[in-house]
Amino acid sequence: MPLLETDRLTKEYPGVTALDALTLSVEPGIIGLMGANGAGKSTLIKILLGLIPATSGSAKLLDYDVVREGLELRRYVGYMPEHDCLPTDVSATDFVSHMAQINGLPGAAARERTAEVLRHVGLFESRYRDIRGYSTGMKQRVKLAQALVHDPRVLLLDEPTNGLDPAGRDDMLDLIRRTGREFGISIFLSSHLLGEIERVCDHLVVIEAGRLLRADSIASFTRETGGLTVEVDGDADEMAKRLHAQGFEVTADRHILLISGSDDVYDAIRDEAVDLGLGIIRMEHRRHQLEDLFRAAANPEPEATHA
Amino acid sequence: MPEEAQGNIYDLGYRGYEGPRLGRGHAIFTLYKSSLRSAFGLGRGFGAKFFPMGLTVLAFFPAVIQLAIAALAEGVVDLFEAASYYGYTQVILAIFCAAVAPELVGRDQRTNTLTLYFSRAFQRLDYAAAKYAALATALLALTLAPQVLLFIGNGFAGEDLPGYIRDEWTQVAPIVVSAVLLCAYIGGISLAIAAQTPRRAYSTVAILAAFMVTWIIGDILAHTVERAIALPFVLLAPFHVMRGFTLYLFGEDPGTNSGLAQLDVHGAIYLVTAIAFAAVTAALLYRRYRELAA
Repeated sequence: MPLLETDRLTKEYPGVTALDALTLSVEPGIIGLMGANGAGKSTLIKILLGLIPATSGSAKLLDYDVVREGLELRRYVGYMPEHDCLPTDVSATDFVSHMAQINGLPGAAARERTAEVLRHVGLFESRYRDIRGYSTGMKQRVKLAQALVHDPRVLLLDEPTNGLDPAGRDDMLDLIRRTGREFGISIFLSSHLLGEIERVCDHLVVIEAGRLLRADSIASFTRETGGLTVEVDGDADEMAKRLHAQGFEVTADRHILLISGSDDVYDAIRDEAVDLGLGIIRMEHRRHQLEDLFRAAANPEPEATHA
Repeated sequence: MPEEAQGNIYDLGYRGYEGPRLGRGHAIFTLYKSSLRSAFGLGRGFGAKFFPMGLTVLAFFPAVIQLAIAALAEGVVDLFEAASYYGYTQVILAIFCAAVAPELVGRDQRTNTLTLYFSRAFQRLDYAAAKYAALATALLALTLAPQVLLFIGNGFAGEDLPGYIRDEWTQVAPIVVSAVLLCAYIGGISLAIAAQTPRRAYSTVAILAAFMVTWIIGDILAHTVERAIALPFVLLAPFHVMRGFTLYLFGEDPGTNSGLAQLDVHGAIYLVTAIAFAAVTAALLYRRYRELAA
């Protein structure tokens, strides 16, 4: 059973199409939802939560229709919004326990779960202090705790590292990864930072201007980027064309060729370089980074944009 | 042995929650309870308690004064009567509403906590219902409670308690009904206003105006202009309507010189107006939450 399925999900605001016939199918796991600001990440999450209605199309999360079975679905969903959402003049314990009860936990169980979850997010010491006095990092932890307290089956985290300093980011990402792995909870993590998603997620969904660019496992993304970077001292474009004709995936950026392919790629590079009379200045394995792939996915014709 | 216990670290690991998941009813009751507590600043600092608690105490003053005088003077004293009790405390009720309603509904909007509520197994109607019930219940402490104190106190102040109960038991129904209706009615008006804005200052002023300015305008018009013009203004003034329906429920006439007496409308009109107000404001509150982007 897929964790999330959307079918031509569309959200139109006056003058803007936030989601444009988005069709997706995602398996359980830790899923990164990636896109630039305004790509439609928050819109998608809010539709899944029933906070805003879709203009058309449908979505199923945990096999519940988000509109028709939204109430039942939300018993098993935890949500951490992007923006500030905490009252100031109550303690973390009171607030998290209150939210647990709103989601159906009886009082005693809510208090027990609250203590457990606050310990998990590392707020146990200051749990009786008013939230007003918390740092941004601590507030983000409270937000995560309230999303986790009712033991959801899926967590929707909207930009959970927003506003955190680098150390705070690391802590939060680590916490999210542990939460996903140890608790066995599926997590949607939206971010515009690829590095974060690479560290935490095992699936990646890339959306751009409300449309799906690509959805796949991180492994398959990085596998493909496990190619070669070749720098030559002449016209790389001709060489790129020839290699492409042989069935290799090549992009050329002035003197640099980015090539992915099988083992016989080395021979092909050598032969073509000799044939064209080009000198090979540098040849190295590319570091496995999503950045390149995302760039390639975002711009289907990189040659044109890099020219 | 404590010695052995020391130094052990129990890593319980993460445990899922296998217990019961209660439904919407539990969620509504939870929100109702916490809203009722925060209406009086319970679980918060002194500052949050000062206004609501202080106003509640003030709302008891007429009853306490009456009982104190009755105890000293010995005999029947009718300084403050049940039928006109709210006339003495209406300013207190208005201030209480203006202080508490923005607290109950504005705060969640201001801090965006509403998003968290609406993303849970909970409906927008549930939220509105819980808040409405909480404010109406809180108001009972300023309306029904002093009335009950006055009723019981008067009984004990007199010589003849069984006689008092025999004579006065017919007052019980109007006391309860008028208090409950009043709370639903002014609570609904206050929340319908307060829910429109996260800004506390705006809603506080707007609620005070809705109660006090309309009261003054209604009073002036009732005494000056002709009935057909004055009547709509009086019926739009929550406290005139309140006075109208409490007198009607207690079966008493307005004083000859009062605005209501000038209008000479059947008391049931006020009763119907109050019920209509309670229903319309509840609907407005729900509509506001249904459409509020979260």
